[in-house]
Amino acid sequence: MAVCIAVIAKENYPLYIRSVPVQNELKFHYTVHTSLDVVEEKISAVGKAMADQRELYLGLLYPTEDYKVYGYVTNSKVKFVIVADSSNTSLRDNEIRSMFRKLHNSFTDVMCNPFYNPGDTIQSKAFDSMVSAMMVQAS
Amino acid sequence: MAQCVQSVQEFIQDSFVPMVAVLCSEDAEKVTRKNNLNFSELLRPFCRLTSEGHMRDPSNQLQVVKNLRISVNNVVTRPSVPSSGVPGHAHRRLLSEVVLTCQPAEGGVANVITAGDYDLNISATTPWFEAYRESFLQSMPASDHEFLNHYLACLLVVSSSEAVPVEKFLKLSQEQHRIQHSGEYTNPKWFIPNTLKYYVLLHDMSQGDEQRADSVYEDMKQRYGAQGCYLLKVNSRTAAAGADEQIPDPWSQYLHKSSLQSQVQLGPRLSVPSIYLLMYRTSEVDGHDSEEKGSLDNTHPLQLDTPSDTPGSLDALRAVAVETKPPPLTTGVAAATSHGACLTLNDHDRIRLFIQEFTFRGLLPHIEKNIRQLNDQLVSRKGLSRSLFSATKKWFGGGKVPEKSIAELKNTSGLLYPPEAPELQIRKMADLCFLVQLYDLAYSCYHTAKKDFLSDQAMLYAAGALEMAAVSAFLQVGAPRPYPAHYMDTAIQTYRDVSKNMVLAERCALLSAEVLKSQAKYSDAATLLIKMTSEDSDLRSALLLEQAAHCFINMRNPMVRKFAFHMILAGHRFSKAGQKRHALRCYCQAMQVYKGKGWSLAEDHINFTIGRQSFTLRQPENAVTAFRHILTNDSQQTSTQQGAFLREYLYVYKNVTGACEVALPQLPLPCINSSATRVYFGHERRLAEGEKQAATHVSLDQEFDRDLAAMWQDLEEQVVAAAKRGVVPATFQSTQCCLNSQTDNLRFPLAVVEEPIIVEVVFRNPLKVPLVLSDLSLLWKFTLKDFNRPQTQEDSVGDAVPISNEKEAISINFFCLIPLCLLPQARLKLLPHQTGQLNILGLVYNLASTSSTGDTTINTAEGTSVRGRQDLEIQGPRLNQTKEEKTSVSHGPDRRLDPTITPPMPLLEVFFLQFPTALLCGEIRKAYVEFCNMSRVTLCGLRVASTHPDFFTFGSSSLATPLTPLSPTSFENCSAYKTLATPPGATPGSVAAVTLVSEGDFGSGTGLRGGVSGAGTGGKGITEIPLGEGTLKPGESTQLPMWLRGPDQEGVHEIHFLFYYESAEKGGKISHRVLRHTVFICASRSLSVRATACRSNTLPEEEEEERNGSMLVFVDVENINSSEAGVREFHIAQVSSSSKQWRLHKCINPAEDKDCKLTSRERGKLCFRATRCKPLQEEKKQSAFPFSKSGVSSLQIITSTTPCADFFFRRCQPLESLRPPGVGHGGGDKDIAGVVRKCNEVDLDIIILWKAFVVEDNKQVILEGQLHVALQTIDKEACSLTPKEEAQEMVLLKFKPELPPPMTRPSMEQLSHLIKTNLQYPESYSHPFNQKSLCMVPVTLTLSNCSLAQVDVIIDLRHKTTSPESLEVHGSFTWLGQTQFKMQLGAQEVMRVQLRACFLHAGVYNLGTPRVFAKLADQGAMCETSQQTATPALIIIINST
Repeated sequence: MAVCIAVIAKENYPLYIRSVPVQNELKFHYTVHTSLDVVEEKISAVGKAMADQRELYLGLLYPTEDYKVYGYVTNSKVKFVIVADSSNTSLRDNEIRSMFRKLHNSFTDVMCNPFYNPGDTIQSKAFDSMVSAMMVQAS
Repeated sequence: MAQCVQSVQEFIQDSFVPMVAVLCSEDAEKVTRKNNLNFSELLRPFCRLTSEGHMRDPSNQLQVVKNLRISVNNVVTRPSVPSSGVPGHAHRRLLSEVVLTCQPAEGGVANVITAGDYDLNISATTPWFEAYRESFLQSMPASDHEFLNHYLACLLVVSSSEAVPVEKFLKLSQEQHRIQHSGEYTNPKWFIPNTLKYYVLLHDMSQGDEQRADSVYEDMKQRYGAQGCYLLKVNSRTAAAGADEQIPDPWSQYLHKSSLQSQVQLGPRLSVPSIYLLMYRTSEVDGHDSEEKGSLDNTHPLQLDTPSDTPGSLDALRAVAVETKPPPLTTGVAAATSHGACLTLNDHDRIRLFIQEFTFRGLLPHIEKNIRQLNDQLVSRKGLSRSLFSATKKWFGGGKVPEKSIAELKNTSGLLYPPEAPELQIRKMADLCFLVQLYDLAYSCYHTAKKDFLSDQAMLYAAGALEMAAVSAFLQVGAPRPYPAHYMDTAIQTYRDVSKNMVLAERCALLSAEVLKSQAKYSDAATLLIKMTSEDSDLRSALLLEQAAHCFINMRNPMVRKFAFHMILAGHRFSKAGQKRHALRCYCQAMQVYKGKGWSLAEDHINFTIGRQSFTLRQPENAVTAFRHILTNDSQQTSTQQGAFLREYLYVYKNVTGACEVALPQLPLPCINSSATRVYFGHERRLAEGEKQAATHVSLDQEFDRDLAAMWQDLEEQVVAAAKRGVVPATFQSTQCCLNSQTDNLRFPLAVVEEPIIVEVVFRNPLKVPLVLSDLSLLWKFTLKDFNRPQTQEDSVGDAVPISNEKEAISINFFCLIPLCLLPQARLKLLPHQTGQLNILGLVYNLASTSSTGDTTINTAEGTSVRGRQDLEIQGPRLNQTKEEKTSVSHGPDRRLDPTITPPMPLLEVFFLQFPTALLCGEIRKAYVEFCNMSRVTLCGLRVASTHPDFFTFGSSSLATPLTPLSPTSFENCSAYKTLATPPGATPGSVAAVTLVSEGDFGSGTGLRGGVSGAGTGGKGITEIPLGEGTLKPGESTQLPMWLRGPDQEGVHEIHFLFYYESAEKGGKISHRVLRHTVFICASRSLSVRATACRSNTLPEEEEEERNGSMLVFVDVENINSSEAGVREFHIAQVSSSSKQWRLHKCINPAEDKDCKLTSRERGKLCFRATRCKPLQEEKKQSAFPFSKSGVSSLQIITSTTPCADFFFRRCQPLESLRPPGVGHGGGDKDIAGVVRKCNEVDLDIIILWKAFVVEDNKQVILEGQLHVALQTIDKEACSLTPKEEAQEMVLLKFKPELPPPMTRPSMEQLSHLIKTNLQYPESYSHPFNQKSLCMVPVTLTLSNCSLAQVDVIIDLRHKTTSPESLEVHGSFTWLGQTQFKMQLGAQEVMRVQLRACFLHAGVYNLGTPRVFAKLADQGAMCETSQQTATPALIIIINST
């Protein structure tokens, strides 16, 4: 399960960041922000022509001592970042993939909301609850 | 990694140089001491050889040694760094000082790196890192597994002044031998057992005997050979003599450096050393004993051993650094500690020559010889020993694994190899080759050594070999093999993990990173550097992280965010290491990435850190700016965090403002919604004062309403037009008392001197914590400008009143803790005493935070409270007129806050007394108005405009003022109407008093007089207020009666008054002033009056001249009041009529006495006969019928006087204007329709005056009122409640010009009213049918022409209706004689036709069978229209037998 889930706009500002240990929020912000460099690197590594067939899931962006950072980029260049605990070995690539897919679907729902102004921070309750479901329950 | 001044090759070469020791006799020391230097220092600037040297490698190839540098050091017998690998305290301190003193130059060139959408301003070089690296490498301890910094040679220096120099040389030589071989000292490590000894005779030119020195030198040559000794002549001049001559001082730059080992290195000299540091260095020249250093540390002003970091020590440094700026390197320092004062340039050359001689003649051949020796040894030993060694290992080493662990243990604990071990010999040879730039050979040796060490599991040795192998492979010219980066990685890992020697690991990492950088492998370099960060040294971690960050930014695809992140980490470590300045710089650089990208949490964190660091570095301005960012952003922090930020900010801010009291700085909190600022001109109104009710005017409490504002402007325009004789001046500008974002603020508003200006500022608190504001006042600027008199310079006094309720309001917020809570508006008053131009600039206030403990009482003294200002800058509306403005975004000016103060103007206050809030429809009430002139200027031209001019009247001005009680208190239950006692004998209801009134006499005519009537609605609502002399003197007040009449429509009415007045002194900047008043009147239903006029069928008998001039008027009065409890009953007091042509003649009520009282829901009918009177020009006749049966008042109300007539005319006006001109008043005689209509028209207005008995608080009150009904057409019902809206709407449709109605044919209905018929016959007729079967009855048919035109009439008696009913009746009688008549009737002519009816039986017959057809005489084409049949004319025929 994730400890931090973030949605980053095309222009690289956060649309949504949520992390489970709230006291460490700042650290996760830094982590997610730094991971954008890797995301950009990975996107630019794929050639222009291949951009259409590019897989949205970017895989593990980089591991730190405590966390693993995974990335996902939609076709509209909105980035999803999931930070998972390194100690959680049960988490497999496939599960991460499905988490991203769920996140993407939920995000699409948010975007379809006619009252949502693209570029605003996401305040949807449905999205929030979906993210909460994917997060580690803070005990 | 950042760019370096040195290239990689230079850097690596300089990191490993041949080491030369110095042993000096005391006398020689004295000689050099004259120059403030010791011998090694004396040589230091000249240690880099400018010329090329040559030597032969073992294969006898000639090799060039380029750019060689040697390092000359005094022999120090104690290790500066313990070889354990953990740097000592002193060492660390030294390094941190190096870094500390090396700060980026102020305003240094920073290059802009553009990465993606980031533009970063980063200094490309990091001199502090290079300085650190240099110091670090220089202070590397000599270790046993490598020989690179072991001494190769020793200079033995003896002064020529020595008595027996040769003996001294011998002594020194023995000393050296003792140090190297006795085993007493471990520290100065020696490369080779037989160290090269070079004998130097130092000759002081200024005092010694030169010849003697020469002879001694000759002797030395004999003894040591020409290659092994040197005569160095120095001190060619005396210190005193040299003062005038400027000699370059090459030592200063070397000696300022905090070099522990006194090595000479070429490096960047960007540091700005302080005097302290300099003196400290020079006082320490003798040696670098750690002990000595430790003692120095205790007294040193720069000590940093307090990690808790009181900023005092840093500040001391800073203070000093500031004082010594620009660094007085040449003058100030030289005066105190000038080096080489006794040396001429010649001496410099001699020293240079000496070094060259020593290196090329002494050192290089020595090294060459040793290499050759070692090589020979190795070659001879090769093969056999190695293979034997490994073979024995293979054979005897049964269990390999335990052996390994033992080996490792040995490696880490102590020395494994004896000094003469062949493996070490290889390593020694490799090191020698490396030092003299024979990199090929060095590499192969290192490689061999590496293999040996690895096979022996001597990990430390292996790591050293690996490291150097990699380096020498990199340095090989032409690069025959790729750089083995993995060697380095293995080496670092081994150093760190196996040997636990961080110093070596760090050295290796530094080298490796530099090499990787040169190969543009930034990613690898970064990883390497980051790996090297650890908990044990904050400074190292910080520096390496910073370099890693630079690596990220220098990548081909710059990784900006990683750069920023690592910069932050570096900053954090720097601050932990006490390097505040560097920490601040790191955070600032990282800030560039995070700034304004929406990562607010990170941004806040950085800003907060920057703020703190800046503050501790005594840069409070920067600190305030940084903190300000945290607070102005829409912070997502928690409230406790925000509270902490706020407190910190306030604390810092207080310190800043405490320091400088020049100008109040801007405060970021709370946000001022400047566009919502409202400005109000004038006094604050007291709404009620006892019984008096002041005019509402405009107040800040009212919301702005666009429609209402337009309405007021319209009213004002009307009244101005009326005052200016119908023309609105071009410069007209409606008065705006309250300016806000929606008003027109393009012009400078006008304010009057001595009248307050109230500014309302709206605050918003963006934080989740409460803010306490106190002592608010306005900041303003005033330019004195006298509009009347010549300019006089006088001080203007501004008065700023703080708002007191501010704190209470905040205490509420304190409890709510609503995010983004809105603070109340603050209203600040300014009272101008002079005329001129005022500019309101901003606000000054105290800002404080509340305690976090949840105290209910907010104590401002408890929290830190700071004073600051905020400017009020209002952006005007966006311009969108021209194309240029549409395409660009430009804003117009907004001059809300720049009022012009004008000379005094009159100020009117209006009070209302006994002003009702609820009225019955049509109720007349008397109230009083008081006009007060509050100013010192005479007021005149008082007028009032209203949206409901029919609601009130001030009475007629031309008629004598009615006798009203002067004091309103005596006015109680007294009728508003003027009454007249009825003559006692007169029967009520029968007498009709007639008076003539002119419309113009009443107030309603005021607007019409000036010729505005033609302009339609122009001045209809304007009333001039009858003041005594037309003016109101200063301080004077006048009370006037005012009558009100409840609106005809029920419901709540919003009635607006606009009082207009001017100053008696003309020519002011303000032409007029206005006062607004709005009242709400709740009108409830009273009576509903419906009236119908019918043509009377009876012929006038008495007065023949009133031909067809009689009419019946039925008045239905219904009590429709819904509140039965309040209103008990209505009495009809009087019915009056008003008309030009008609008058009510007689009340012909069947039961007249009963109709006067109407209880709830009762309906009464009144019936009047009206007769036509002579048309009178422009005068209306009023006839009144008092019904005094009610017993309340037997007085007749004079309806032609003020209240009644006023309201009547006011009410009439809109109806009057409704009538199309020319149609109603006989203007269209030629027009058939007109003619036809005319004949049906009545112009009769009926006024019903009533009294209502109302119970109010158990007291009976009589209310009076009047209702109007306008009768216009015969047989058409008119109602007092005219559907006004509909009628008005039709009028308002003005998009078509008002044409005269088209020539439509008059309708049949209208045409059927042309002729009035009347049958005259006896009501009953007795006829003896027995005698005569035929009964003949004469009947007179009277035809009267109602119209004013000639009418052709056809009378047809034959006509039979087809209905069976009539057949039955008709069958019984017939008309005799002529059955058809054709005639012409003149205008209003009456004609009688004699007819005879013949009856056969007795009975009741209807005689109304004659059909009358009529048509207008001159309309030939038109066919006759059947005229309305008269009512059934019944005749009774009685059989009189």
